[in-house]
Amino acid sequence: MGCRTCELACSFVHSRAGALGRPRIRIHAQGRGLEAGVIKDRYLQLTCLQCAEAACAKVCPTQALVRDETTRAIVLVAERCIGCGLCEAACPFGHMHFDRQIRLPLKCDLCGGSPACARFCPHHALEIRP
Amino acid sequence: MSIRLWIDDREVLAEPGERILEVAQRQGISIPTLCHHPALPVLGACRVCLVEVQQGKRREITTACNTLVQEGMRVATDTAEVRGHRAMNLELLRARAPEAPAVRELATQLGVARSRFRPPAQNPLPNCILCELCVRACAHLGHHALAAVGRGDKKRIGLPHNRPAEACVGCGSCLSVCPTRCILLKETATTRTIWGQTFELVRCKSCGAPVMTEAQRAHAIRTKQLPEDHDDTCELCKQSAASQRLASVVW
Amino acid sequence: MARIANAAALAAYRKQQRALRPAERKAIAVCAGTGCKAFGGLEVFEAFRAALDAHGLAKTWDLRATGCHGFCERGPLVLFFPEGRLYQRVKPEDVEEIVTRTLLGGEVLERLLYQDPVTGARHEKEHDIPFYRHQRRLVLAQNGQIDPTSLDDYLVLGGYGGLVKALGMDPAAVVAEVKRAGLRGRGGAGFPTGVKWEICRAAQADQRYVICNADEGDPGAFMDRSVIEGNPHLVLEGMLIGAYAIGASQGHVYIRQEYPLAVERLELALAQARALGLLGQDILGSGFSFDVHVSRGGGAFVCGEESAMIASLEGRRGVPRRRPPYPAAQGLHGKPTNINNVETWATVPIILEKGADWFAAIGTAGSKGTKIFSLVGKVNNTGLVEVPMGITLREIVEVIGGGIPGGKAFKAVQTGGPSGGCLPAEKLDVAVDFDSLVREGAMMGSGGMIVMDEDTCMVDVARYFLGFLKFESCGNCTSCRDGLEQLHALVTDIAEGRATSGTLDLLEELAETIRATSLCALGTTAVNPVQSTLRYFRHEYEAHIRDGRCPAKVCKALIHFSINDKCTGCTLCAKNCPQKCITGERKALHVIDQARCIKCGICRDVCKFAAVDVQ
Ligand SMILES: Cc1cc2nc3c(=O)[nH]c(=O)nc-3n(C[C@H](O)[C@H](O)[C@H](O)COP(=O)(O)O)c2cc1C
Ligand code: SF4
Ligand code: SF4
Ligand code: SF4
Ligand code: SF4
Repeated sequence: MGCRTCELACSFVHSRAGALGRPRIRIHAQGRGLEAGVIKDRYLQLTCLQCAEAACAKVCPTQALVRDETTRAIVLVAERCIGCGLCEAACPFGHMHFDRQIRLPLKCDLCGGSPACARFCPHHALEIRP
Repeated sequence: MSIRLWIDDREVLAEPGERILEVAQRQGISIPTLCHHPALPVLGACRVCLVEVQQGKRREITTACNTLVQEGMRVATDTAEVRGHRAMNLELLRARAPEAPAVRELATQLGVARSRFRPPAQNPLPNCILCELCVRACAHLGHHALAAVGRGDKKRIGLPHNRPAEACVGCGSCLSVCPTRCILLKETATTRTIWGQTFELVRCKSCGAPVMTEAQRAHAIRTKQLPEDHDDTCELCKQSAASQRLASVVW
Repeated sequence: MARIANAAALAAYRKQQRALRPAERKAIAVCAGTGCKAFGGLEVFEAFRAALDAHGLAKTWDLRATGCHGFCERGPLVLFFPEGRLYQRVKPEDVEEIVTRTLLGGEVLERLLYQDPVTGARHEKEHDIPFYRHQRRLVLAQNGQIDPTSLDDYLVLGGYGGLVKALGMDPAAVVAEVKRAGLRGRGGAGFPTGVKWEICRAAQADQRYVICNADEGDPGAFMDRSVIEGNPHLVLEGMLIGAYAIGASQGHVYIRQEYPLAVERLELALAQARALGLLGQDILGSGFSFDVHVSRGGGAFVCGEESAMIASLEGRRGVPRRRPPYPAAQGLHGKPTNINNVETWATVPIILEKGADWFAAIGTAGSKGTKIFSLVGKVNNTGLVEVPMGITLREIVEVIGGGIPGGKAFKAVQTGGPSGGCLPAEKLDVAVDFDSLVREGAMMGSGGMIVMDEDTCMVDVARYFLGFLKFESCGNCTSCRDGLEQLHALVTDIAEGRATSGTLDLLEELAETIRATSLCALGTTAVNPVQSTLRYFRHEYEAHIRDGRCPAKVCKALIHFSINDKCTGCTLCAKNCPQKCITGERKALHVIDQARCIKCGICRDVCKFAAVDVQ
């Protein structure tokens, strides 16, 4: 629907020291299109694909990006990160964001298995599937 | 073969070659540190992670980060003596780095409200605590652009031999790991300046937003961290492109 | 010179060399050690050469430039063999007379003999002089006799006999012998050498190293330098024996850049040993192979610390690292490495030659053998002294050192180099051994010994050593780098009258943290000068702080000079004052302008009437 509740939810959950985080899910408007005879705004939600061969994890010089064995997400072990920013450059889909203030990358971690974006979506348009 | 030791009277198993700090942290026992980084080689510079170690008849105060575990070792992480020495070293660091939040917070936590010492005479990089995290991070990335120069009270962090080091690619990792954030990094829309050198930024080929430095990009491609045909678009434009590709499939 | 294939061939060669120079042959040994050279020893040597030639004596008298004899205070020294007669403070002008009257005429030149400053007695023979008589020279024994550039000289005196013995033993038996001798490291910590060898030998590895620590960073110390300059083969032989015992095939000598002569002598000795087959492949047909490389250090004090030295040898910054792992397990290039001090290595051949029991009979229960000290400061006889362990400080200072010059009172003796401790007169009867010194708050260190008289301010002493150490700290540890700088600042506050009642407490608290929490021994011992002076001379600190008074009248901020009524108005002080701040008419009382006076004390030194007071 393009309400962007998911972006907001993500920001809240991943906020640090009172500041809203940068959302790790984004809604992209794709113009309008005809659907079932009605003209509608089209939106796509994009977030990290938790790639099988994740480019970010591969490029990281300190193995700070690792796969969480339970959620299967690629998660950041912040203590290991040395803030080089290579992961942002490496992700082909633009899902890795290197925050220049806190000097750490931000990425979707599937909220440890219960993603806020999906929980808060008023239209239940997001769900997680294995 | 595992090593058995005691940390704060808790029996703990560890592997040979492990250090007290990592073993304690695994047990959820927290020991304050300033110069430690799990992804970088240990140095033992800040002298804050002090613990008391009893090994046979020998009892000493030592740093947890670089002390190898040994069979039968008894470690105490929170004795009055340990706290006292941690506080003194923090008081020394507080005089060196009065404005660094990390130092101030830890000092306050350890009961050091102010430092009785004067700032050191030589302190070319204000608030730097000479922990060499920057040096170690830079070396780890293969750049080796930074070094600890000089010794004693004249030790400082700088580019080796006072030359503008071509080795620096302006990646900013040094600042990322710096516990006091004392390294100056200035960025305009097109350039980044760090350690006195100004680097051109790669601009997103769609929107023009700054991405990384040209030098870092070149280094990453040379070292095959990034592909030869690396896509110079910013993260948002990469996302848009991806969404368009997806849209063309869906609709 | 041909390679020597085995022990028998070495024995034959030795015999041949001995025949060429029988023990009763007349020889003149001119000291060319650092001290004597500074006094003109080489000129004396050249003068002898010319005079011997002129008199046609070059064939009957052997002339040698030797290593340091130790009695540097009295240099240039000239020894005559076989009598062992010593002439001291010889000048080139004396040489002609020596040749005609002593060599040809058999006359003893009284004025060149050593005269006891106390009794006035003259001593003809070296071993009669108290300075030498109370020493026990093992390592330095040959220094005055051999030409350090001659391997043959060394062989004639039995050199490489220890190696021959060792090669005939099982390596483990060599380790056991050194262990049984009770030899402890002479480089500072006094770790049992045999035990260290054993650990290194036991470490699994395809390659092991031995290193000779010749960094000698203590200001004023020159024991190691004198041993290498005076008898390089002795050190080399020790390393060979150690390498054989441990199973090392490569050795390094880490020597400071500032010792060019020692480097030259060592390189020459190595070349000689290689030529004779005492270094290289299959040494003396034993199957044991070993070679030595000389590396020059940049002169940082901390590079004498073993892990920093290894880092430096590997081309990294000379910074110590946490041990364990010890070098014996993981040293140079990650391989088991045994590091010993020059003097330690030089003692090894003597142990092998004379046996562990003989050696262990010298010294005390916990400290065996002898130790070389460089005795300096306010003492009559300065120089290198080698004494048996267990001798008292009093014997060294009063007998060997001949007491304090100028009739002044003894105040303290600092042992152990810059991070040693200062012991007061009450402690003069302490035995000089590793454990006793540490118990009293000092240490053996590498053998520096500085004597101080009543005119020394102990606060000033502490400040001086802290100034050295804060500069020489590698800068890694907060406690050592910042701690020493702040400690120095606190002591300076005391010396300059800025201290408050809390200063001493903070000083003690900080010193304890530096001692307890620094990574290497530089930091943990750096507070010795402060802690020991606080322990024995606390009242001096208190006088500075509470009364604003420097009892020894040294600390410039706390003293001032004034002229009393003994002044005759001779104007000498006014003429010499660098500040030109003394005024007064001729034949009238002079006055010092306190505002401009820089307290250099020159006026007091030049005044012939003791009219300048210091308060
Ligand atoms: C700051 C510092 C400086 C040192 N300097 C020297 C030195 O100049 N020469 C030396 O032989 N040992 C020096 N040492 C001691 C060495 O670390 C090491 O203990 C010694 O070389 C071992 O040899 P040893 O067992 O024969 O004494 C120093 C130690 C420290 C902590
Ligand atoms: S910024 Fe951190 S997570 Fe990203 S590649 Fe660098 S070290 Fe790894
Ligand atoms: S910005 Fe330069 S100095 Fe800093 S880590 Fe990157 S390459 Fe090294
Ligand atoms: S600049 Fe920062 S990271 Fe580098 S030594 Fe100083 S405090 Fe440590
Ligand atoms: S104690 Fe001093 S010399 Fe030793 S490692 Fe620490 S800073 Fe360096």
